[in-house]
Amino acid sequence: MLSGMSIQKQRKLIIFSFITVPLLLLLTFAYYPALELVRLSFTDWDGISADKTYIGWANYKEVFSNPEIFGVFRNNVAYFVVGIVQNIAAIYFAVVLNGKLKGKNLFRLLLFLPYILNGVAVAFLFGYVYDTTNGSLNLLLGQLGFDQLAETSWLGQSQLVDYSLASISFWRFMGFNMVIYLAALQSIPSDLYEAASIDGANGWQKFIYITLPNIYKIIELNLFLTVTGALEVFDLPFVLTKGGPAGASETFVLKIVETAFQFNNYGLASAMSVVLLLFVIIVLSIQRYLLKGKGE
Amino acid sequence: MKKTISALISVFVMLTILSACSGGGGSETNSNANNNGATAAPTASEESAAPEDGGDSAIKGEVVYLTNRTDMIDKEYVDYEKRFEAKYPGVDLKFEAITDYDKTLKVRMASGQFPDVVLLPTIPNNELPDYFAPLDDIEFSGDIYFKELKAHEGKMYGVSSGGSSVGIVYNKKAFEKAGITAVPKTYNEFLAVAQKLKDAGIVPLASNFKDKWPLDAWLYDVPTLVGEASDHQNKRADTDAPYAMDNVYGKSWSMLREMYEKGYLEKDVNSTNWEQSKKDVASGKFGMYLLGNWVINQVIENGAAPEDIGFFPFPADNSGAAKAPLNPDWFYGVNKDGNVEAAKAFVKWMIEESGFDEFAGFIPTLKDKQPALPQLVEFNSYNPTYFEPAPPVDAATQIQNKAQLDQGAVLQEFVLSKDPQKVLDKVNASWAKAKKDLGL
Repeated sequence: MLSGMSIQKQRKLIIFSFITVPLLLLLTFAYYPALELVRLSFTDWDGISADKTYIGWANYKEVFSNPEIFGVFRNNVAYFVVGIVQNIAAIYFAVVLNGKLKGKNLFRLLLFLPYILNGVAVAFLFGYVYDTTNGSLNLLLGQLGFDQLAETSWLGQSQLVDYSLASISFWRFMGFNMVIYLAALQSIPSDLYEAASIDGANGWQKFIYITLPNIYKIIELNLFLTVTGALEVFDLPFVLTKGGPAGASETFVLKIVETAFQFNNYGLASAMSVVLLLFVIIVLSIQRYLLKGKGE
Repeated sequence: MKKTISALISVFVMLTILSACSGGGGSETNSNANNNGATAAPTASEESAAPEDGGDSAIKGEVVYLTNRTDMIDKEYVDYEKRFEAKYPGVDLKFEAITDYDKTLKVRMASGQFPDVVLLPTIPNNELPDYFAPLDDIEFSGDIYFKELKAHEGKMYGVSSGGSSVGIVYNKKAFEKAGITAVPKTYNEFLAVAQKLKDAGIVPLASNFKDKWPLDAWLYDVPTLVGEASDHQNKRADTDAPYAMDNVYGKSWSMLREMYEKGYLEKDVNSTNWEQSKKDVASGKFGMYLLGNWVINQVIENGAAPEDIGFFPFPADNSGAAKAPLNPDWFYGVNKDGNVEAAKAFVKWMIEESGFDEFAGFIPTLKDKQPALPQLVEFNSYNPTYFEPAPPVDAATQIQNKAQLDQGAVLQEFVLSKDPQKVLDKVNASWAKAKKDLGL
């Protein structure tokens, strides 16, 4: 079938047909649903009925004017704060484990392992850790003599619950960030450090002036992952608290799921999803703007 | 160029074929089963209605029952089939079990073909006649519960497979240990019992507060007992402020709040564990549950001796009169285009002879029949007045969805909040707004 064509034509045909398949898949399963989401966000569809009435911007007005909906972003802040700490810890461990250390492969493995576990399984596991009366965390605190602290309700206090949950994602994703940093660190040529040592630089100076500039792009990547992760966190509060106590751990995505599947308000939920998408884009633009030019 | 195009087209064709494959896989099995149900249909249903007694000529052909009890396939159902076919020799009874019942059945109903006997899905009552045959001419041996619930224009389209009640499930050993000799008949006595349990180092009431759904009794059943009427959820649609301190909701929720404040619930209500609570009630670390009778068998499975677990009506006031809600389980419905006569015979047989209600631990649909579960016998010995639920009204559900009102979450906030009135005010405000927006 191909023999009658010139090499040029064959090349084009092959390239074209190979690209068509993934493109078609992408269009049908990513872009078409996304466009459909935008379309639904302008309707009042209830998820069952055949008619979807066009209601203009009413859903978007609702999203921004109802503090019950937009206010839950407040709870996402905790994940963001802990995410920053998580990145700092990841860099620290990456630097330590990049040096000469006995059993460093074992430590790397140990720190990375939590990432492999399934999110829901992790959430269940921490349900037992955080349990007030029978939980292992309070048991440990009690054994160490902190009797007052051992009574803490980790998931039951509205000021504490988001940080308790965010700590779980710290535990889970720190190793993943660390592995990315490690890969970046290993790509830094060692003669840079050698030259710096000859010039009399100490460890901290080497870190600030050689390591950091070289992994800047990677820090940016990890921050991107952290920010989107913080905005889209869902599985931990869904399994552990269902948004409680009294809505203190409700996240935006949890709210979207509730709106669509519990209250059958698919139109509003679609609008909320679109807003979340825009929000991610805005936050990332700000981040890119702030970090622009550095590390180049 | 032509060849390029034809190659491209072939790619397209392949893709569509592939996607058609995956789409068809699921529905194929369904349509097969549908055919099974439909083939035998016309023969029997065209003959006139006849009495349901055994061996009647109208009752023959194939009957397919679509069940949600996947666990009974190849076990109890084998015996059911043998016994039913022995009574009606002309009938070939078949069982088909599916999971995700409600959603799957709706899809199959939309396709126009579904088995002869099904469990009614959640559709509005006025749509029932489009799919199901009226069942008023089944002659049961006695009066039955829940006649009005799945009815439209005076005709009954569903027969409940059984009922359950909600009350206090308690550990008798724990009561003994706390020195309690009689079950409480009034709310004040109930609080006294809770205090005694607490003094004995037992958690009086396992609320499972965190999980939210175990609080459903406080949303639906306790208000029924307080107001002695079961239509309180529907009545919300008539007012702009359905939640008030002095109505059924405020009164019911204040009880839970009172117990929370007095320390009669778990030590930390925001950190409760459902699975563990069953073990703790079984072992007597926790004293009571306010839940349906379905939980009794689960507590027994978790290590309690059956004779140690009791069940009594929750005393929601100080009148001393025993009251209890009576809630239906799934309803049997008969496909109007199916093998109607044989299907009706099967429904009657399921209610009267199969023993399914005993197996499932239900309160039998026949009013005269005594439940088999000893705890239900104990429960009935207090002679509770039963309140059957009212058929649901769409308006209240619509407003609730529009207002994005999760009553369980509101109750949690009500109990934990420093100012419960404020919580109610907030809910009423969003209720009134949603009601106005919908124009109801």
